[in-house]
Amino acid sequence: MSNSNVSRRNFLKIAGVTAGGLCISISLPGNALAEKGIVENSSIELNAFIHLDDNGDTTIYCGRCEMGQGISTALPSAVADEMDADWQRVSVQQGDADEKFGPQSTGGSKSIRVMYKPMREAGAKARAMLIAAAAKVWKTSTDNCYAQSHFVINKLNQQKLGFGELASIANNMPIPDKVPLKKQSEFKYIGKKLARHDQDEVVIGKRIYGVDTKLPGLKYAAIIHCPVLGGSLKSVDKTEALKVKGVTNIVEIPRFDVPFGSIGGVAVVADNTWTAQQAVKKLKVEWNLGENSVYNTKEYKQQLVANVEKPATLAKERGNVNRAFKKAKHKLKATYTGGHLSHSPMEPNASVVWVQKDSCEVWASTQSPVDIQKVLGQYLKREPKDIVVHVAMAGGAFGRKFMCDYVHEAAVISEKSGVPIQLIWSREEDMRTGYYHSINAQHIEASMDEQGNVTGWLHRAAFPSIPTLFDPSLVRAPKGTLNAVVNHLFGVKNLRAESGDAKAHTRIGWYRAVNSIFYGFAFSTFADELAYKAGKDPLSFVNQLFDNNQKKKQKKDVKRAKSVLALVAEKANWHNRENLPEGQGIGLAVHYSFKSFVAMAVHVEVKNDDIKVLNVDCAIDCGQILNIDGATAQMEGAVVMGMSLALNTEITFRDGAVVNSNFHNYPVMRISDMPNVRVHITDSSKSPTGLGEPGVAPFAPALSNAVFAASGKRYRDLPFKPMAV
Amino acid sequence: MKQSMIINGTKHEINVDGDMPLLWFLRDELEFTGTKFGCGMGLCGACTVHVNGQAIRSCITTVSSVINKKITTIEGLSQNGDHALQKAWLNNNVPQCGYCQAGQIMNAASLLAVNPAPTKKEIETSMQGNICRCGTYQRITKAIAEAADTLSKEA
Repeated sequence: MSNSNVSRRNFLKIAGVTAGGLCISISLPGNALAEKGIVENSSIELNAFIHLDDNGDTTIYCGRCEMGQGISTALPSAVADEMDADWQRVSVQQGDADEKFGPQSTGGSKSIRVMYKPMREAGAKARAMLIAAAAKVWKTSTDNCYAQSHFVINKLNQQKLGFGELASIANNMPIPDKVPLKKQSEFKYIGKKLARHDQDEVVIGKRIYGVDTKLPGLKYAAIIHCPVLGGSLKSVDKTEALKVKGVTNIVEIPRFDVPFGSIGGVAVVADNTWTAQQAVKKLKVEWNLGENSVYNTKEYKQQLVANVEKPATLAKERGNVNRAFKKAKHKLKATYTGGHLSHSPMEPNASVVWVQKDSCEVWASTQSPVDIQKVLGQYLKREPKDIVVHVAMAGGAFGRKFMCDYVHEAAVISEKSGVPIQLIWSREEDMRTGYYHSINAQHIEASMDEQGNVTGWLHRAAFPSIPTLFDPSLVRAPKGTLNAVVNHLFGVKNLRAESGDAKAHTRIGWYRAVNSIFYGFAFSTFADELAYKAGKDPLSFVNQLFDNNQKKKQKKDVKRAKSVLALVAEKANWHNRENLPEGQGIGLAVHYSFKSFVAMAVHVEVKNDDIKVLNVDCAIDCGQILNIDGATAQMEGAVVMGMSLALNTEITFRDGAVVNSNFHNYPVMRISDMPNVRVHITDSSKSPTGLGEPGVAPFAPALSNAVFAASGKRYRDLPFKPMAV
Repeated sequence: MKQSMIINGTKHEINVDGDMPLLWFLRDELEFTGTKFGCGMGLCGACTVHVNGQAIRSCITTVSSVINKKITTIEGLSQNGDHALQKAWLNNNVPQCGYCQAGQIMNAASLLAVNPAPTKKEIETSMQGNICRCGTYQRITKAIAEAADTLSKEA
């Protein structure tokens, strides 16, 4: 077909700098892999761009990847604000992989933390240059000029010059080293309600996602993977698949043993995706499954429980827990568990790759274009910078699209077929070839004195950890992954954190909120259990736990955590919960993660073991908000994701392979279970912190606490209601 | 003579195997990419289009079963993106990633065509087959109710 939506000329137009107009480059610190703790932080000189046309049209590039979290609205609007640009005149472009945009690997709820200040500075510098240009035209001092809504205005005579008119003059002005940034009271867009820049396109079906990329001469591929990590292809009979009309090639893809490389599989190339998918089903494949075929999650979870219910490897101890336990008035212990999770974004893994003799071009839904350059560079034995990566809008990602195994596979298929290839994974392959959230077990033992002060806290965690992606020989989670336990804001003088053995048998990845999911669950649920043990109101008990934190450097954080908790308690009418009808209850939880503070109050009705979530009050303090509506949406979405994982979703392995295959046996939350969610956002001028992930963690513990309040039944295993698969 | 179907008011000849699901005919042959692939089993609703005005899952509907029928995709729901649902979607800032939203809107349009004033419960029952992994459900329900309200005032 001819109406391809991406052409080489289009690429040049987007990425190139046209003549006439203003182009600002700025220096940005940071390193993509350092953000994920993969490499040491290093300082590289990097740039980003604002483009202003002679007609006033302004393009702001977003280097961070968009997957629905709204970053490509939030950051560019901050640029526009500082630039005094009119948002209606701004169009946003997703930046290709290029170090001039700064760190592009998008994860860890870091985009705003990393880019807020540099992006604002870029906007402020553009404004200063436009003002300097106008002052030059008017032969007056810049002090006599100010910018407002895409114009520079002369204070002396109210003359106006449009940004477009000034563009080429501004382009010759020196880029200032330092520019003042706006005060909060001067913000026009930051902190206000803005619609996503692209929602007009979404509702008419014109927004282009990675899965929608079309190129002249494009061929379509489907793939089947080795079901067990570490296995390999024994044999494949291609006879029947090759008979399918429209099949043009069958490609064997060996396991590529680098982080984020393919697990190994066989792909079929055809004239369209459906033909490729049909033909894949006709392949007769035999695999050498390898040693991970022993993996059964049911037994493995029991093993993790055993490993945390006995002494494990010390991560860190402060004070002396054993001594505290000996003097205890009350003692309590509990074990919490959780299963693997699949990200399952609505758009399965998809990309287009065209490998040619002297070039390689990629269009992908991705969270980490830099890793695509790295992995494809390794595979093709080319320089990473020679891999051109266009970052497409991702139809959800939640951490899955940080890893680029699917892009690597498309590159292999294109290289072997000599044509541009679109590889779309089937839902089944997407669910069964994941980088899963860790299965986990935690055991906590605590002691209390007569006043209900927690005097000792022993915390053992066992989970196959993300670092196993880079060092498969690890037999337990490294000490650093228990920092969230050691540095928890609860004030416990004697604390001991231990890591239980947990070898990985599958690939573990970053799943929205990551380890906070299970740490948040254990901490806030156990605190609730302790409150009942001490005979105290759970809210007062948790406040007391916070108040016992004597660490000076955590004082402000404790205050913010208590504040969001108090807010949801008030909004949920916690203090009048005695008046709730029979079978209803409210549970509270608060968790600090990604530098932000989130509390939830969950109001449930429990009837014959059926759990109906009625209301959720959610409060977040993440410092300065960029887009109040986007922030609210992130919290609403976090509740939904929290509810799926708390109640229903779990990935099960049997004999090394994932049993779940599609949404009938991986039952993510649907609309009829949607509670009434009320989001409360703290008005703050503090530095902005994480927003995409921190909302997920508090839901499950608040739900467990609510169900206990309503029915007396305590859930300690996630999900509460797993589907038998 | 080749068989055909009417898509968004335009006749398109069927030049593919009749067993091909409508979804892939739309996406790969005609490059109407607004209709999305999500599950391939009619479980998620991302691929929802209308056949003779009624919502169906195009990933499990073969091309041969819609010969001579009128297909409406998200691209053809309205002339200028001004269907009451599209406006309500924008007014409530419904989309996050937006990938499922074409299917959500098409399913909702089919609901409102037969039930112009649905209750919250009716909306939820009707939309139960459409998954949104970003979690925009609360806004979807609100937007549908708002669109129904707008339509009732226009009527």
